[in-house]
Amino acid sequence: MGSRASTLLREEEIEEIKKETGFSHSQITRLYSRFTSLDKGENGTLSREDFQRIPELAINPLGDRIINAFFPEGEDQVNFRGFMRTLAHFRPIEDSEKNKNTSTSEPLNSRTNKLLFAFRLYDLDRDDKISRDELLQVLRMMVGVNISDEQLGSIADRTIQEADTNGDSSISFNEFIKVLEKVDVEQKMSIRFLH
Amino acid sequence: MSPRRGFRHPGSFGSSLPERGLLLLVLIVLLQGSLLPFGAASSPDVGHRDEADVHAEAEEKHNFTKKPFPVLSFEYKHIQVPFEISLWVLLASLMKLGFHLIPRLPGIVPESCLLILVGLLVGGLIKLAGQKVPPVLDSNLFFFCLLPPIILDAGYFLPIRPFMENLGTILMFAVVGTLWNAFFIGGLLYAVCQIQPNNPSDLHSLELLPCLLFGSIISAVDPVAVLAVFEEIHINELLHILVFGESLLNDAVTVVLYHLFEEYSGVGSVTVIDGVLGVISFFVVALGGVLVGAIYGILAAFTSRFTSHTRVIEPLFVFVYSYMAYLSAEMFHLSGIMALIACGAVMRPYVEANISHKSHTTIKYFLKMWSSVSETLIFIFLGVATVDGQHNWNWTFVTVTVVLCLVARVIGVVGLTYVINKFRIVKLTTKDQFIVAYGGLRGAIAFSLGFLLDKRHFPLRNMFLTAIIIVIFFTVFVQGMTIKPLVDLLAVKKKQEAKRSINEEIHTQFLDHLLTGIEDICGHYGHHHWKDKLNRFNKKYVKKCLIAGERSKEPQLIAFYHKLEMKHAIELVESGGGAKLSSAIPSTVSMQNIQPKKPAPAKPEDRVLPKLSKSREEEIRKILRSNLQKTRQRLRSYNRHTLLADPYEDNFGEFLLKKQKMMALDKKIQDMNNYLTVPAAPPDSPTLCRARLASDPQAYSMKPALDSVPTIQVDLASPQSPDSVNILDEFQRSEQAAAAEEGEDDGGLMMKAPTRPHERCNAGEMDAGTREKLSRCLSDPGPHAEDEDEDEPFLP
Repeated sequence: MGSRASTLLREEEIEEIKKETGFSHSQITRLYSRFTSLDKGENGTLSREDFQRIPELAINPLGDRIINAFFPEGEDQVNFRGFMRTLAHFRPIEDSEKNKNTSTSEPLNSRTNKLLFAFRLYDLDRDDKISRDELLQVLRMMVGVNISDEQLGSIADRTIQEADTNGDSSISFNEFIKVLEKVDVEQKMSIRFLH
Repeated sequence: MSPRRGFRHPGSFGSSLPERGLLLLVLIVLLQGSLLPFGAASSPDVGHRDEADVHAEAEEKHNFTKKPFPVLSFEYKHIQVPFEISLWVLLASLMKLGFHLIPRLPGIVPESCLLILVGLLVGGLIKLAGQKVPPVLDSNLFFFCLLPPIILDAGYFLPIRPFMENLGTILMFAVVGTLWNAFFIGGLLYAVCQIQPNNPSDLHSLELLPCLLFGSIISAVDPVAVLAVFEEIHINELLHILVFGESLLNDAVTVVLYHLFEEYSGVGSVTVIDGVLGVISFFVVALGGVLVGAIYGILAAFTSRFTSHTRVIEPLFVFVYSYMAYLSAEMFHLSGIMALIACGAVMRPYVEANISHKSHTTIKYFLKMWSSVSETLIFIFLGVATVDGQHNWNWTFVTVTVVLCLVARVIGVVGLTYVINKFRIVKLTTKDQFIVAYGGLRGAIAFSLGFLLDKRHFPLRNMFLTAIIIVIFFTVFVQGMTIKPLVDLLAVKKKQEAKRSINEEIHTQFLDHLLTGIEDICGHYGHHHWKDKLNRFNKKYVKKCLIAGERSKEPQLIAFYHKLEMKHAIELVESGGGAKLSSAIPSTVSMQNIQPKKPAPAKPEDRVLPKLSKSREEEIRKILRSNLQKTRQRLRSYNRHTLLADPYEDNFGEFLLKKQKMMALDKKIQDMNNYLTVPAAPPDSPTLCRARLASDPQAYSMKPALDSVPTIQVDLASPQSPDSVNILDEFQRSEQAAAAEEGEDDGGLMMKAPTRPHERCNAGEMDAGTREKLSRCLSDPGPHAEDEDEDEPFLP
């Protein structure tokens, strides 16, 4: 870590981030150095272009959506707090946290919040429903260009039909949760931030 | 592995088996004793017939008295070997049948226990009859015939995803755990033996190295036993893959340890150099085995790319390549089990994309059949060999061994889990650890390895064998029988029976991409990053080589979807099949209740079919018959070697042809709407798709009053048995969209979702893909095949 990094990140900030996201001290500093290495403009915030410079993200079918998820509504820059807040969703759930009862608001990396994050990536217009079109868009991104629209449409139809319990031809958040109840989301949506 | 090869004279199998097999036959079928001329054949042996030499003629003239021509003769020797093999296999299979007929037994006692008991019984019977018990658990037989099918079955159907996700844990258990077990047991046994007083009991003379050798033999968890027991308890996937994966991967460790100690126990000491060489050897054995398996797997995948014209031998390639992988690995003293697993796992995704559906089913059932028979035979032979073996019972040795095995296992698992949990996202709980420890069963591999020991180098071989057998019995009987109640008692999570839905598949892939992206943002080259790279490499280069034709570009999601649809369609046909076939006559009721067999929890609809009045049917049928074209049915000559062509692989041109025909037909249907006296159905959504049955695809369905219920209307009113399904391709739908009236519909097999205003019909399921697949399944042409409307180019 360069001296530049340590002067820009104060202890109080680290404490606040720790409380908010649950990351440990070393994880926060490590991620801060990553943040600064991405921040080519050196202004303490990241823009979309900074993200797009990451080569692997360009070939990721969901790349754009992931980048957008970092930026709050309507803004073009994200600071370190926001960066960490988004990444906090992917922290592994620890056993100690599992046992805590939800007297306080749920931590950012609870199962529900993880699923909510994923749900928001589908649901671009934020109407709390994944409509057929939104699903089609995602399918098209994942599947590539060789598959016909009709085929994709039938897959989308089938998907919605399987998940839809209240008959509104779209997948609400609760239906989304229900469909994924057998999938081990805690493991799937966690990244081991090794020291 | 050298011990497994060249063991005994190859002829031993045949010549040392006496008429015991015949005796067994007597016991089973209660033949008369007079049919048993032991060893004596009343007619000249076939083999000796050639020896009627010229110069022996003189003697022959003296010996050869004229006997009446034998009308019926009995000669056992020349069919003895195959006969006895078949008899054993038959016995095994009958036993398996029998167990499941007894009402409550399979729930209480695992099959493996029962089979061992049967083996004991049979062995006992043979001994009672005074015959010599054949050395059935001959190591050659075991390692070359009985073990490979089981391992191949396991490897081919290995769930790759959970295996790879838990690979670190599995390897820790397999390698470190087995090493710990071996050294702990061997070392403590030696200590116990040393403290034995130097009395006539030969324990004191047991050296350290033979002890360690024994420890390494007994320490390995056995895949056969684990499979046999865990199959029945339906435990959750994670635990299953942990214990099972461990049992597979510890083969490499066992091989190296066994060799090492066997080689050097003659010499009496192991130096550090040997130890280092042993470690290197371990890597060579393990990685070499995997490499050999992977090479054969790729060869098999490549071969399957070209089998589109000779579908019948496709399964053969899978089996032969895998077996050769096993043998090749054994040839180099590498781990044959790991080669087999690697071969199966590598070839599977590519082979399955290339082969036909029928070959896929064949492979699946053959593997299951062989592995099932093998497993049964292994347990029976264990029982027989127990009766036969020359035992050297030593209380101390045996009890100490059993106790040490348990203790070592528990300590090993607990210790390793403590370390592993630091690196796992989903930690292993105490319950999990208990099951993993308790599931460490020993089995026939340990016995066979012990059997191979040379008596000259290991004077206490019989004692070892006795102890091994007791440990096996203990683990299989005690642990095997109690694990099920314990699983229930501890409320361990069970396997979820429901199949993977398309939702799960889509979302899982979605999450994969998401996580890969996040990892890239963090700059963290983790699990997802490498998996993504591998997938990309696979898609870009490997699939192009190994998968034939268009399938190579098919994304995984689409392939999954097609498979799902096909399964669904097959189930549909099967559940409705009984009813369908019985009504080839027009006057029968055309609507049947079709209940899908699977509980289908996710599906909101029920399928209930209302009845269609016969007079209406007749009317419609008349109209249709007079108006529809009839195309010539292409007849095919029957050839044993041809299979139904795979419709998925037919060229696109045929599709276009059918599409045009369909369009023409549909125009006609729309015109005919006017002739209907029945109320037209409420307009369906434009994406209505349907499968049409061959004969009168345009039988009009009566929209029942039950609009709230999705209906499957199987119109069997056609004169021909509607067994072939017309392909309606998806372009059809856009035509429908343009149609003003969607009223009619077709008959035959149609699925509708409840016709709520915005509802998409669940005929989304029956799209082109399904229909193609449906046609693949239905193979009988109707009685009036030439009247069929549509070409069925892929059905004879």
